[in-house]
Amino acid sequence: MKALLLSLLAGGILVSAAGARPLATPGVSSSEIRIGSSVPLSGEAAIAGNVARGIDAYFKYVNAKGGVFGRKLKFTYLDDGYDPGRAVNNTIRLVQQEQVFAMFSSLGTSNNLAVRKLLNDAKVPQLFVSSGATTFGRDGKKYPWTIGYIPPYSEEGAIYGQYVVKKIKKPKIAVLYQDDDYGRDLYAGLRRGLGKKVGAIVSKVAYDPTSADVQPQVTQLKASKANVLMIFAFGKFSLQAFNAVSRLGWKPQIFVNDVSSASALMAIVPQKAANGAISIVFGKDPAAPAWRKDKGIRLSQSILRQYGTDIGPRDLQDGYYTAGMATAYTLVDALKKAGKNLTRDGIMRAATHLNEKGNPFVLPGIVVRTTPTSRFPLTQVKLQRWSAKAWHPFGKLLSAKPR
Amino acid sequence: MRLRLALELLSLFALAVLIAVVPRFVSSFTAYEIATVGMYFIALLGLSILTGYSGQISLGHGAFMAIGGYTTAVLSVDGIYGHQIRDVWTIPIAGVVAGVAGLLVGIPALRLSGLYLALITFGLAVAFRQIPLKFDHFLGGTSGKVLSLLTTPFGLSAAPNHWIYYLTWGIAFVLLVVAWLFVRGKPGRTLKAIRDSEIAAVSSGISLARYKTLAFALSAFYAGVAGSLYAIARGFMNPDVFPVVLSVYLVAALALGGVDSFLGLILGASAIYVLINRSADVTHWLDHLPAVNLDPQRPGMPDVIFGAVLIVVLILLPTGVGGALRRLFGPLTTRLYSKS
Repeated sequence: MKALLLSLLAGGILVSAAGARPLATPGVSSSEIRIGSSVPLSGEAAIAGNVARGIDAYFKYVNAKGGVFGRKLKFTYLDDGYDPGRAVNNTIRLVQQEQVFAMFSSLGTSNNLAVRKLLNDAKVPQLFVSSGATTFGRDGKKYPWTIGYIPPYSEEGAIYGQYVVKKIKKPKIAVLYQDDDYGRDLYAGLRRGLGKKVGAIVSKVAYDPTSADVQPQVTQLKASKANVLMIFAFGKFSLQAFNAVSRLGWKPQIFVNDVSSASALMAIVPQKAANGAISIVFGKDPAAPAWRKDKGIRLSQSILRQYGTDIGPRDLQDGYYTAGMATAYTLVDALKKAGKNLTRDGIMRAATHLNEKGNPFVLPGIVVRTTPTSRFPLTQVKLQRWSAKAWHPFGKLLSAKPR
Repeated sequence: MRLRLALELLSLFALAVLIAVVPRFVSSFTAYEIATVGMYFIALLGLSILTGYSGQISLGHGAFMAIGGYTTAVLSVDGIYGHQIRDVWTIPIAGVVAGVAGLLVGIPALRLSGLYLALITFGLAVAFRQIPLKFDHFLGGTSGKVLSLLTTPFGLSAAPNHWIYYLTWGIAFVLLVVAWLFVRGKPGRTLKAIRDSEIAAVSSGISLARYKTLAFALSAFYAGVAGSLYAIARGFMNPDVFPVVLSVYLVAALALGGVDSFLGLILGASAIYVLINRSADVTHWLDHLPAVNLDPQRPGMPDVIFGAVLIVVLILLPTGVGGALRRLFGPLTTRLYSKS
């Protein structure tokens, strides 16, 4: 009887002890927060992998200043070669083996779609994905553990449409777009932005993302005698499109979408075609003269020199690093907001209640703001025009907030 | 000959024991990784029947894997007339669908051989990705199809990663035994006869058409099963899940493991897994070796290393690892056999 009582008592103590202790959050210890990402470091999109290198350098800088509430940020990023199959494998590995607290800034629309359900079912935050597909910000009800970052592609398309309506007399628009969700998102946005003037689109040609060259498509578009050309492409395809425009001696007003308008790319296409091209911008571009003496850009370059690996002079002019730092700044901000007692619920609450002013790596005046129903952190952009081998922002901040 | 049979049975038994006990010693994620190796192994078994025994080369087996993967994705997400099928039951269906596709490819393949067949099948691998893009309402286009997450069925208490491990290796073992029975009996001898000389085979009364298409269909069935398991394990299917280069990797892995050595193929399958998913780690390890200075971040590095390994293996062991094993144990078994 005594033994039974004793064992009951012991059991009771054990149970209450277990109940009193809060459940440990995976990837968070008193000294460290583990964060994972899957990005292309090889393959055709490898250049975009510098986003992760920028993030890594920024985290090291934050760690050197004491981390977040005394915890150091440990960032593990794996190469997926822009292949969704490998992105799934990387994500499972990071969550199960490396026990990361959250996935952060993984790159690519397909790659993030491939792991969204998996992460949401496992209740692992999928933070600030590197894709402007509208679904990542819009479908928070269905996928509460996912949040986007860059302005949605559909709104980007709409901004070009509105600009054409306002500024170009008798527009006749030709559209080159990638034949997938990404290209179609932009195209649908353009149509919405044109509103009643949607008839101004005189021709549109889609290309398959696996095709070799888009010159035939550009030739076809030129035949429509359009005076405006939308290039909604990616990487080598936008390069080929500019080349084709120049070779054909065509002189339309070109609009090129943000993802394919990196300064490094624009600088090597024929300037005859590139000059006067218009795009949107929301992050500070280290290659643009407007920011050459900017504090934020200076900070990012000094962080890269100090904490980056293998940083050459060209890397200091590479906007992908700065883009990574902008996202990393927002994550650190959210982690601070989530408080000392860090949980996965807590970081999602913080990430969906952002009101961040003064991110040094995005355009001045942009406020990174989110609510649980509007998970689009960046919804303000400016237009920019290419001339004299550099982008020059112009006009006021425009809203890219989905209605 | 009886000794050889005993040895083969013994190695099958040893493999079965190994499959059963491995999960006790490895982490849950490692079990998942070994399961993926098992999927490549299944595909390689099929390819071995085709290339190792019937002598036909296919550079398009990635496409058959994709057919299997899409069959599973469509049946388990959309179902037939709205009735979703549990992922496990889609595996045999995926195999059959891929097998029928293999049969269809096998018919024109009758008229082709060697390089031309390799080219045609490679064309299949390259062209296949257009199908999901063309029929994107049905197959999901580039955004793909998201499958339900892997769960352990029938009230079993295994963790999902262990479940996919046992499922994959259970199927792999059964298919290994099937392939073994297939090639050691009359069909195997027939295929070998065709491989060695088609004219001699025909004049001995062998129906070329029947056996060559049979080999193609069976081999595609295996690839379909592998693709289906892969889709289930990843929970996602789009045209990039089975990239064109996978078809080439499969043939390379076949050469590495030994074209007609089933157990050597496990090594070939591991090589594919490491190449696709763990190449950065390998480069890191190699980087620690003295006098080696590799930059793991440099694009294409893994492929360079895989290529180098392949060249070295094929120079040192022209019949692959499997052939080397056979040469190692060969004298032993023949000597004992001649004595008895």
